[in-house]
Amino acid sequence: MTDEKLQELLQEASRSWRVPPEPRVGEMWESIEAAHFDRPRQRLTPRWWVLVSAVAAALVFGVAIGRFSAVDRAAQPQIAVSRAGFQEPYGRQTTELLGQTAVLLAALPREGSEGAGQTRFAAQAEQLLVTTRLLLDSPVASDPRLRVLLEDLELVLAQVAQLPAASRRNAAELEIINEALEERDVVPRIRTAVASLSGDD
Amino acid sequence: MTGLAIKPALVGGTDEQTLITRVLDGDRGAARTLYEAHVHRVHRLVFRLCGDEELTHDLTQDVFIRAFDQLSRFRGEAAFSTWIHRIAVSVTLNGLRKVRRLRTRELSLEGASHVPDETSAPSDPELKERLTRAIEALPPGARASVILHDIEGYTHVEISAMLGIAVGTSKARLFDARVKLRQALADYARE
Repeated sequence: MTDEKLQELLQEASRSWRVPPEPRVGEMWESIEAAHFDRPRQRLTPRWWVLVSAVAAALVFGVAIGRFSAVDRAAQPQIAVSRAGFQEPYGRQTTELLGQTAVLLAALPREGSEGAGQTRFAAQAEQLLVTTRLLLDSPVASDPRLRVLLEDLELVLAQVAQLPAASRRNAAELEIINEALEERDVVPRIRTAVASLSGDD
Repeated sequence: MTGLAIKPALVGGTDEQTLITRVLDGDRGAARTLYEAHVHRVHRLVFRLCGDEELTHDLTQDVFIRAFDQLSRFRGEAAFSTWIHRIAVSVTLNGLRKVRRLRTRELSLEGASHVPDETSAPSDPELKERLTRAIEALPPGARASVILHDIEGYTHVEISAMLGIAVGTSKARLFDARVKLRQALADYARE
């Protein structure tokens, strides 16, 4: 099979392969409208006390780091622009989140493990999920690449957080999570983002 | 075709950003207008990726439900179409993974590359069928790259935005996918 022949086949496929049927626009809209507008609003944000604790922790952490690094920073040239759009505590918090998430995902077993292990992973993932969602609603998300990464992390962390609830299907769920990590290059992208953020210091 | 250029799109004579603001304020009419502007393209993309009418119906609904739920996070750096197509790809690939677990019927490349009858040249329909099976046998990421680039005509920049990967990764995946397709169809090389 030559490149040209394959190209020809693929071009032909673009016209004749999996030609979609006419969508049932009205029927789909009824379901979407019911799900989005008519259902009781789903709690997408964490409870208030979790929110307050996380914000407080982020601020304390940011102030502390800021004090330690203030002297050195004055002497350093400002070379990066990627973090210029958001304030220092957010940058630190993002670096922390990415580092902790990378550790969690690296430790995630490739196959199903028993109770305590799952619960520990799930609890960590839940905490990281709260921070991820806070950052998604913060100035950090104004950086398109970071926002996309955080959205992917939100999806993966939500899956990990639900592991105990899905214990009967645990092996399959873990495989799905690991496939998603691989397919979307999540861990390499975390490393790149951490390196980029660290490079801004 | 979608684009990454940020320009105010008009939907039914209304600026898309205005529509989005109205949707966020709970305006169902604006949501319906936005939905109708994008549903055909999203439905087509989902069907190309999954190939099953009923699944496409369900997944397309999920795409819009998720998009409306997350609309407050759309900041307008990219076109709305790019944003919602990214959700479509993500929802579809996740949906396919779950369905595959349920059905456990994944075709293998070996299955696609059977040796044809030596005495007769394969007919075009047969070759197309072989191509279909070879595409379906690709790993999900590679399959998405082929479908999005070679069949749907998205650029690597658009694909990288949709899949959340680097442009170079998108190109590498497509290259690998084409190698696998050529291998799967290698026995037709003497045509």
